[in-house]
Amino acid sequence: MKKTLLISGRVISLLVLFLFSVSLFAQEEGEAEEPQKERPARAPFESGLLFDNATATIQPSKTLEMIIQHRFGSIENGITDLYGLWAPSNIRLGLNYSLTDKLMVGIGTTKFNKMQDLQIKYNPLVQTRSGSMPITLTVYEVIGINATDEKNFGVNYQFSNRMSYFTQVIVSRRFNDKFSAQIAPSFTHYNSLDSAMDHDRITMSAAARFKFSPQSSIIVAGDFPLMLQSISEHNEEFNQAVKDAGNFVKPNFMVGLEVSTSTHAFQIYLGSAQNILPQENIMFNKNDFFDGGILLGLNITRLWSF
Amino acid sequence: MKNTIKSLFLLGSVVAFMVTTMSMTQKPGEPWNIPAKYKTMKSTVKAGDASINAEGKELYNKHCKSCHGAKGLGDGPKAASMKTSTGDFSSKGFQAQTDGEIYYQSFIGRGEMPNFEKKITDENDRWAVVGYIRTMKK
Repeated sequence: MKKTLLISGRVISLLVLFLFSVSLFAQEEGEAEEPQKERPARAPFESGLLFDNATATIQPSKTLEMIIQHRFGSIENGITDLYGLWAPSNIRLGLNYSLTDKLMVGIGTTKFNKMQDLQIKYNPLVQTRSGSMPITLTVYEVIGINATDEKNFGVNYQFSNRMSYFTQVIVSRRFNDKFSAQIAPSFTHYNSLDSAMDHDRITMSAAARFKFSPQSSIIVAGDFPLMLQSISEHNEEFNQAVKDAGNFVKPNFMVGLEVSTSTHAFQIYLGSAQNILPQENIMFNKNDFFDGGILLGLNITRLWSF
Repeated sequence: MKNTIKSLFLLGSVVAFMVTTMSMTQKPGEPWNIPAKYKTMKSTVKAGDASINAEGKELYNKHCKSCHGAKGLGDGPKAASMKTSTGDFSSKGFQAQTDGEIYYQSFIGRGEMPNFEKKITDENDRWAVVGYIRTMKK
């Protein structure tokens, strides 16, 4: 034990020394010649929101963004409910505010499950025009609070049962004026769920935009929840049975059109998940895009600068 | 039939009145009071630079076109609802201004012309827009 501690101490000391030397070296270089100010690349996406997903885009500091998200029902009932237009729809209203050019906070309220949410998005790395930083790195967190009746949370109710957490790292790149793309692994955790479900889930998401006119783009995205035995609370046989019965959460595919102006972004699209908040889609989506589980979605964002 | 013709006539009169009133109330803008430091500002983007037809054009179309029109003639779809004329970027009078004066009017703004510093944050992008406006000269 003592030996392990000693080795760990030495490793840490070496690491600190190395980092210190690197920073000193960098400082000396900086003093020798005035570094040119890097120009950040233009935002990879028009809005901080793409379908149900966040993008790396953070509006300039002191900008307020109002968000309206509307999801109709799925088309699977056909003409009976006019392909989902008359079916129960889900709606989220949100407000985001950019505290700095790299930090945004937000709140929102969603109809399904009476979800209330707090959001925070931070860009520790921003792509530069010179290419010295080829990507924008974003950390995104959504804290959800289910505000439905407490009887929905079983026995031994506690407020914390209502909480869910979605943590995502977004790596995005604006390849040129027309094409941008991002990949975004995420970790979702629910404090309280049905006993047959796992509380944790890892998901891979991807999104892309192709701008075909100064204001219009084709947009696509997908969320792919993974069933990982290593983080599952159930045994392999149980998980296999869930999969075989088709009860595992379905991926969320989205394809649509975005029109953006100076202050608005409007997205109209076909997608599969109806829950809007990412953790809700990742944990509960049962709509299969390739088996009639398609719905019409609309997003509208409006910006105010202060 | 008589009533229908009467209704259509009434509707037509109302629309004609509204259009006439709107066009009559739109006045040319007052002369701009531009601070000296802006008047002498020099563009960081040279004429003919590739960014003028890339960033400049794209940003103009996104932020300016709806009022000022695709060719800067002041005929964008929102122009008619303004109290003040949006001007004509192709005119000799407009183009005779310095780059700095166009920069101030475009990004600092006043009244109905909003401030665009928060919408176009990069300095070179702003000059690319000024450069693109320069290409509208007749």
